[in-house]
Amino acid sequence: MGSDILLKIKNLEKTYPNGVQALKGINLEVEKGEFLVIIGLSGSGKSTMLRCLNRLHDPTGGEVMFNGKDIAKVTGHDIKVLRRDVAMIFQHFNLIPRHSVLSNVLMGRLGYTGTMSSIAGKFSKEDKDQALKYLDLVGIGDKAHIRADQLSGGQQQRVAIARALTQNPKVLLADEPVASLDPATCHTVMDYLKKVNEELGITIICNLHFLSLVRQYATRVIALKGGELVYQGSPKDIDEAWFEKIYGEGAKEVHIN
Amino acid sequence: MNFQFKRTVFDAITFAYLAAVALVVIYSPSEEQMLNMGPNFALVAVFGVLGAFVSTLINKSGTMTLGQLIFAPSHKKDPEKCKSSLKQLWTWQLWVTLIVTFVVGAIQTKVSIYELTDEAGFNGAVRLFKGLANPNYDILPRAILKVIETIFIAFMATILAVPVAFVISFFCAKNIMTSPIGFAVYATLRTILNVTRSVEALIWAIIFSVWVGIGPFAGMLALCLHSVASLAKQYSEITEAVDDGPIEGIRSTGASFLQTIWYAIVPQVILPYVAFTIYRWDINVRMATIIGFVGGGGIGTMLIKYQGQALWPEVGCIIVVIAVVVWIMDTASAYLREALK
Repeated sequence: MGSDILLKIKNLEKTYPNGVQALKGINLEVEKGEFLVIIGLSGSGKSTMLRCLNRLHDPTGGEVMFNGKDIAKVTGHDIKVLRRDVAMIFQHFNLIPRHSVLSNVLMGRLGYTGTMSSIAGKFSKEDKDQALKYLDLVGIGDKAHIRADQLSGGQQQRVAIARALTQNPKVLLADEPVASLDPATCHTVMDYLKKVNEELGITIICNLHFLSLVRQYATRVIALKGGELVYQGSPKDIDEAWFEKIYGEGAKEVHIN
Repeated sequence: MNFQFKRTVFDAITFAYLAAVALVVIYSPSEEQMLNMGPNFALVAVFGVLGAFVSTLINKSGTMTLGQLIFAPSHKKDPEKCKSSLKQLWTWQLWVTLIVTFVVGAIQTKVSIYELTDEAGFNGAVRLFKGLANPNYDILPRAILKVIETIFIAFMATILAVPVAFVISFFCAKNIMTSPIGFAVYATLRTILNVTRSVEALIWAIIFSVWVGIGPFAGMLALCLHSVASLAKQYSEITEAVDDGPIEGIRSTGASFLQTIWYAIVPQVILPYVAFTIYRWDINVRMATIIGFVGGGGIGTMLIKYQGQALWPEVGCIIVVIAVVVWIMDTASAYLREALK
């Protein structure tokens, strides 16, 4: 790892049309192969920051260098190419409920498939093999032909991970991936993210709420507060004092095992 | 718009209306004077302005007008003033307006107990009803053929409207047309659809019967146009209510605009679309009957022909056929829509 900088974020700003300033000049470098966790209160700008990295939101200032290009400024077709490289999973999984698990995973190939053939539902044999391979990787290969809405929350999130992997991404953004799961399922999903990180070498940038999970999975942690970067360091160094600084006076750490 | 504005406009309209009625009663103007639009409008406008002042004054003075009662948010209303007491101005305003409107309405519609109880007229109605109640089933085969024509007019109108409405609906969904250009397209299309829909299918049938000649084709085109406008509106409202999660999920894979619609939106809307389409066919069968009256073909045209000749037993037979078909369509479409939920 060392000097392999994957993402270089400079002075990133985002102001919403209603005037809310969600990001106030973030400076950050993300190394290749990291499991970077972002913590912070709701509304601190975590989700906004992730969405600026794959242009689901458009930044209003600053730059993000990735693959020799400024993410903040790419347009048109380049946005699609960017999104293929920067996959994302969500708190509410965002699968298509009426489609089968396999079909959902194949949707990770949409960015590589022509509009007409994808509307006809034509995906290549390689795409299907790849989709099945990643379903096996997240341990639900046997559920390929079940409708996505028949699965439990944890299983749905694993389908979402498989969908993200079929994009062959360099980075995987995870927006509070376990916030709507029960504690036991939490760990299963986090373990699969760790596996993806370690075995496939995919860089992960993940928003989390629980410090205990942060200590267990993160290789590095940053904290946002009011749209500003207030902490950057090793997960082991976050002590009581830092916790209060990030989450405000009187906050108590909740443990999840 | 704040509530004071709505309240004042509401009160101004009711006061101006009452003042205008009072003026007509006092001066009993001739028809020629009534038709003199310019000065009359000016007079009503003056009443309106006065009414607005009166409304503002009354609400400032501590009592409450009807407009205040209806439009003011609950925290602005003094509970003491909401009590239904005749001491309150708004109760007077409500009752006077209702009674005056009822009396004016009775005069306008020429309500007449004398006509209703006129013996000759009543006997005529009884004779007609007897004819209707004893349908002449000799024309049943022809009526059935014609009602089949009506069902197909409705079917073709619906089926041709579906693809057009389907495509248009995405361009009139607010959650898809987010860019400034998109919003312009959205607003333009919505306006065109609203205008098309507010012109009755009956009027479109008259226009098309001049264009392509009297017959089922004209009726079908009229219904089709009306269906495009209605379906596009209903489709786009379903599209606006979809869950945003899957859209975000599909966009994040690098999917194009069309792929996002196809994979994230279509699966969510397809069943409600089908349900609304079946309902539209059901409505179109009923409308096709009416459209037949003005030359749109089918059973309606047959009905109007016999009605013109006062052949009431034949008309009775046609009415029975229409009732049965409408009842079957209604029931069948209700079951289908229920099953699709």
